Amino acid sequence: MRLFCFISFFTTSAFSVDFVRDVRPIFERHCYECHGAAKQKNDYRLDIKTVALTGGQDHAPNIIAGKSAESPLFRFVSGADKKNSMPPKTKLSSTEIDLLKRWIDEGAVWPEGVDIAQVEDRLDWWSFKPLQVQVAAINIDSYIHAKLAEKGMKPASQADTRTLIRRLYFDLTGLPPTPEEITKYSALPYDKLVDDLLASPRYGERWARHWLDLVHYGETHGYDKDKPRLNAWPYRDYVIRAFNNDKPYTRFIEEQIAGDVLYPGTTDGITALGFISAGPWDYIGHAEVPETKLDGKIARHLDRDDMVQNTIGTFCSLTVQCAQCHYHKFDPISQEDYYSLQAVFAGVDRTDIDYYPDDTSMQKFVVLQKQKKQLTDEIVALEDPLKKKAGDAYIALSKRIDGAAEKNANPNAKPDFGYHSSVSPSQDTVKWVQVDLGQSVQVDRIVLKPCYDDFGKIGGGFGFPVRFKIEVSDDPTFTTNVALVWRKHDATFINDFANPGLKPFETGTAGDDGITGRYVRVTAVKLARRSNDYIFALAELEVYGRKAGQNLAAGRFVTSLDSIEASPRWRRANLTDGIAPESRSDEDKKRLIRERDALMLAQGNDTTKIKLRALRQQRDALPPLPAPQKVYAGAVLHGSGSFKGTHGTPRIIHVLKRGDMKQPAQEVSANSITQLSQRFGLPFQVEGTEESYRRAALAKWITDKNNALTWRSIVNRIWQHHFGRGLVDTANDFGRMGSQPSHSELLDWLALTFRDDLNGSLKKLHKLIVMSETYRQTSSAFKSRKSGAAGKLDSGLLNDTSLDANNVYLSHQNRRKLDAESIRDAILAVSGKLDLTMGGPSFQDFIIEKPQHSPHYEYQLHDPEDPKSHRRSIYRFIVRSQQQPFMTIMDCADPSMRVDKRNESLSPLQALAMMNNGLTVAMAKHFAERVSKEAHGTEAQISRALALALCRIPHSDELVPLVDFAKREGLENACRLILNLNEFSFID
Amino acid sequence: MITRRQLLQTAGQGFGALAFASLEASEQQHRALTVTPKAKRVVQLFMGGAASHIDLFDFKPALIKHHGEAADFGEKVETFQNGLGPWKKPVWDFKPYGQSGKMLSEVVAPLGACVDDMAFVHNMVGKTGVHSQGTLLQATGFNLPGFPGMGCWVSYGLGTLGDNLPTFVVLPDHRGFASNGPKNWDSAFLPSQHAGTIIYPGAETPISDLFPHKSGRYIKASTDRIGFALLEELNRKHQHQREEDSRLDSRIKSYELAAKMQLAAPEALDISQESSAMKSLYGIQEHRKVWPSEINAAEEADYMGRKCLTARRLLERGVRFVQIWSGNDNGFPRRNWDSHEDVERDHGPLAWGMAKAVSALMIDLKQRGLLDDTLILWTTEFGRMPSTQGGKGRDHNPYVFTNWLSGGGIKGGVTSGESDLWGYKPLDRENPTTCYDIHATMMHLLGMDHEKLTVRHNGIDRRLTDVHGHIIKELIA
Repeated sequence: MRLFCFISFFTTSAFSVDFVRDVRPIFERHCYECHGAAKQKNDYRLDIKTVALTGGQDHAPNIIAGKSAESPLFRFVSGADKKNSMPPKTKLSSTEIDLLKRWIDEGAVWPEGVDIAQVEDRLDWWSFKPLQVQVAAINIDSYIHAKLAEKGMKPASQADTRTLIRRLYFDLTGLPPTPEEITKYSALPYDKLVDDLLASPRYGERWARHWLDLVHYGETHGYDKDKPRLNAWPYRDYVIRAFNNDKPYTRFIEEQIAGDVLYPGTTDGITALGFISAGPWDYIGHAEVPETKLDGKIARHLDRDDMVQNTIGTFCSLTVQCAQCHYHKFDPISQEDYYSLQAVFAGVDRTDIDYYPDDTSMQKFVVLQKQKKQLTDEIVALEDPLKKKAGDAYIALSKRIDGAAEKNANPNAKPDFGYHSSVSPSQDTVKWVQVDLGQSVQVDRIVLKPCYDDFGKIGGGFGFPVRFKIEVSDDPTFTTNVALVWRKHDATFINDFANPGLKPFETGTAGDDGITGRYVRVTAVKLARRSNDYIFALAELEVYGRKAGQNLAAGRFVTSLDSIEASPRWRRANLTDGIAPESRSDEDKKRLIRERDALMLAQGNDTTKIKLRALRQQRDALPPLPAPQKVYAGAVLHGSGSFKGTHGTPRIIHVLKRGDMKQPAQEVSANSITQLSQRFGLPFQVEGTEESYRRAALAKWITDKNNALTWRSIVNRIWQHHFGRGLVDTANDFGRMGSQPSHSELLDWLALTFRDDLNGSLKKLHKLIVMSETYRQTSSAFKSRKSGAAGKLDSGLLNDTSLDANNVYLSHQNRRKLDAESIRDAILAVSGKLDLTMGGPSFQDFIIEKPQHSPHYEYQLHDPEDPKSHRRSIYRFIVRSQQQPFMTIMDCADPSMRVDKRNESLSPLQALAMMNNGLTVAMAKHFAERVSKEAHGTEAQISRALALALCRIPHSDELVPLVDFAKREGLENACRLILNLNEFSFID
Repeated sequence: MITRRQLLQTAGQGFGALAFASLEASEQQHRALTVTPKAKRVVQLFMGGAASHIDLFDFKPALIKHHGEAADFGEKVETFQNGLGPWKKPVWDFKPYGQSGKMLSEVVAPLGACVDDMAFVHNMVGKTGVHSQGTLLQATGFNLPGFPGMGCWVSYGLGTLGDNLPTFVVLPDHRGFASNGPKNWDSAFLPSQHAGTIIYPGAETPISDLFPHKSGRYIKASTDRIGFALLEELNRKHQHQREEDSRLDSRIKSYELAAKMQLAAPEALDISQESSAMKSLYGIQEHRKVWPSEINAAEEADYMGRKCLTARRLLERGVRFVQIWSGNDNGFPRRNWDSHEDVERDHGPLAWGMAKAVSALMIDLKQRGLLDDTLILWTTEFGRMPSTQGGKGRDHNPYVFTNWLSGGGIKGGVTSGESDLWGYKPLDRENPTTCYDIHATMMHLLGMDHEKLTVRHNGIDRRLTDVHGHIIKELIA
């Protein structure tokens, strides 16, 4: 101690540097602009001691007490560091540099209490406070009215019955009421209408759409090639079912994140996982680029990022993705938190998984799987010691089995080897061989069997092309109507195909393409090497039709660009003679397996043998299940090649400096946002080693009773769809960049009521809201009006709109413009064409051209009269790259973005679409046919049309010109005009 | 009464609600408009599939000298398809053009006439070698979908120049979309009227829904004339009782504008009004119906020429942003710039056709005095490797590629940023140019501060340039 004092006395000669007097002014002058209150470049600021001494992303710590030469800050300002020079545009004076040097060398003394700024408490924000209600009010209206009174405003009067019925129909079901329904419910109490609409299956269809917007559900991958996802729809049906069955919200969340582990043996527990995979996916970045490459890593990073954003954004309304490159600039989310969330999803990819459409089969399936696994485990446990005992002989046999075909001396059973092209000096020469099937047939599966020849010590796979394609056509010259058999196309035509040995190469058509043709052609574009030259050879080409059956190519006529025709070994006819080398090797393999098994069993005693036999019998006796259905979901992938998946072992996740894949920092384990765990007291418990337990832990963290974000988020979303604006206007962002609640007490009251009193029932929440006076107010900002279309306005506005131009305080309802789906469904409904069939694969209102490679979704080729496309819009096949033009122009959600609130635009292009799109034009005709059936005489017909479209009785000054127009231009044109009325698109 | 300004705020879409907006030409200036604009309009030329800088614009004598030798990059190189063959010299010879003496490949020789108006950036870098991500990055500034295209931001920031044509027009390759399709020009979180409107010049339906669908045989031209008037009358009655809601008025006006567009668009797309000299300047063979089945330069020039001539007619008539695509998806036979197999086969016809048509566009704009305030940007998702892939093709090169710009305040005849000896990476690896810099420069020339043109979406103030972008001063006249 004494020595220390002595030294410090000794070095501070003339005067010692004082932080406040000497150093802080330098920082103020030169650094605060970028590293102060306004900006914190590189997460670094010099106006707060703790950050200055320890913070800064890339170079922390920037100040090393006592060591100016090693302190990055000093190196940057003194010019010692050649790469980084600070400040970027100016220079410090030599006196300033000297002062800083001395200050650091003297120990960088920074007294407490002199900071001119404070680290912001990021938890000090409304959404990070626990749910709390100060004044327990009786209902929604008491909160709304209190706020209005406080602002000096009055609530509007209640809307008339007809207006309310139309409003509630669109709100709860997304469809207009019929005139008959209006009459019926006008005579019944309002709550009867509410109950009936909530019980209608149309309710689930309407509200599922809001949910699918949020989770950015789509049925193609997006990105390049934009392939269809034919098994995405079971998730859409799950969401509809969940709303219709009023699934408790907690369970709804848990199923979507971890239904497989939290609700095993249920259909919903599996189909709900479509949530994880709902968003876009880079097919090329996964299927063509392996994880070992940087591009492959980036693609998988983006993939997990999408899952993390989708989960936390949807359920907790937070923007965690902002913490990818640095600490979240506004909210209490660290980079480590963000990557721990990525670790939650590190075990899964997007893939089709099995499920059964009913819980009984699901349970059987789960039980069987379990039994099978148990039996297999027991068998393995018994066999392992025997295998070891069998030693080298066992290993040798295994090796022979693996390479059974290749190792075999001569697998050619007969001298008829196959087809052999003429020899080419260059590898890039194109060669083809084709089979004439005799007639045009549907082609479902094609098998190419490789040759065997010892020539050049090649053996199996002799002459099998390195790059090739398989095509089907009715044109023997393959110049027109050529269909590519596309599934493995990327693996065989764009990239080199590894020599398969004697393993047959098999490819299917897409199944839904319906490829038909009389000729099947294999074209090699990169030939197989022989010795110093190149050839194309195949032993057998087999073609199978849609139903499993005979080889359609058997014995059929073969042509080719060229052929060596060296009978009997090499000739064209050998391609379809049913003789290929692998059939015998398969038998060999089976024989070897039997041999190996006998060898292993011979090592055991009788008890073991009996036990093993019994176990094997039990396993073989397990009953088979019917073929399962598939859902595209977030799940463990057991793939191969570039798109291998994890096979259950989660990928290792590192924090990435600046979000850069090339700069991995520390490894992280699965977790959630730690500061929120502390604030709300939320456990994050991973209760097993399998990846699914990570997801289960996150699901439980989100649904915890004390996670205030979750409960506030959902009630706000529901509120938003009933009023056009949430109590918090930024429904996807409850952080500091988002808005504050307009009625924070009401928000918390709703959240608590929903969580505790309504037990997470969304239907009860809807009822609570739509029964309120606030909801039932008129949408007019005026006091009242005289009746009649020509009625003049009364004495003006209800409230001074300068008080609340945005109607945040809800002195009246908001008039709503119909969203894209409601417009489309309403057009179909009033035209009498709406098909209410529920569920199942989506209808496609486009024609797919060129499905082989990059499908072209041709909407203009769709016939608007196709009845399959007259179902509700929720069942529309949603393409990501090329969205449906009509729906898009009507502002439907972009399935590449998580949409909490749709844009609302008006443009001439929208007007043109409403006037001229095939939908309106075709439906106007049906609308006219319908009213001509339902009413007689033009006047009655127009009257009926208006009643259907606007849900009211027309005024004479509307009727007269429309009848006149209909008489001159036809009823269809009048109906088309009615569909274009403002009143059709706006709901009071 | 709610004022228009309040209403704009009400819609909760910030400035985007100018929605109705662009209907009445902007009465309000965006706060990002802080710079004196030099350009009013933009033409973006996008070569889908990744055009080879080495074979077109970036002359590398070292490759000629070392052609066929084993490629030594001095470091481990990760390529998209694993193919790393020997160095490959440019497929075509280069010669100097113009006062600037800029070396151009003979396959783009027609551009020689314009070279003194062009500024080259040879040190562009991307993020990945995956087409989809690369294309999105150049087109929207982000390598994942869900962000507005460049033209959408320009439409959003500047609004329209006329009111009877769309503000942002996209002329796709007629054979199909490049990677990501419309995701490259979707409005994403901006209101839908800022999305690019697709036009197929010369097609049966060049603009969708401009006229009634073919199932509407009951509709006569006269019907709509009377119909529009009656629609307005009825809508006005409805609106009079709801005067506080100006959306209703805007919707009525949108139908007036729709009617105007029905008149203006067909006229704008009718290239038969152009002289035959003009058409042949653009490489258009108007009456030719039959083309060879193999890809060929004359046919490519004809396609590209029609798009470029249409672009000029649209620009003249008030369209703000035209995006022209060359090259479709990766179908077969190959009709894009992704020359893995054979550079000469694909790049030859595509490049010559592009050069013929684009040079005509520049000459034409210049003689009309429009090049001064029309910015032209030529881009692609990334470049191609200086080595072969074993055969006659080149693999992806996201590590360096070329952009060029012209007109609209761009200094002609200059080069900013060089690639290295081989055209493999930037010469100065520490200071490459990114799409953010190109986008920032474009915005600057249009009079906008790229850091200020922002829209808050899901908690983040989004902009075209993400959190990056420096204006490239050397490019500005």
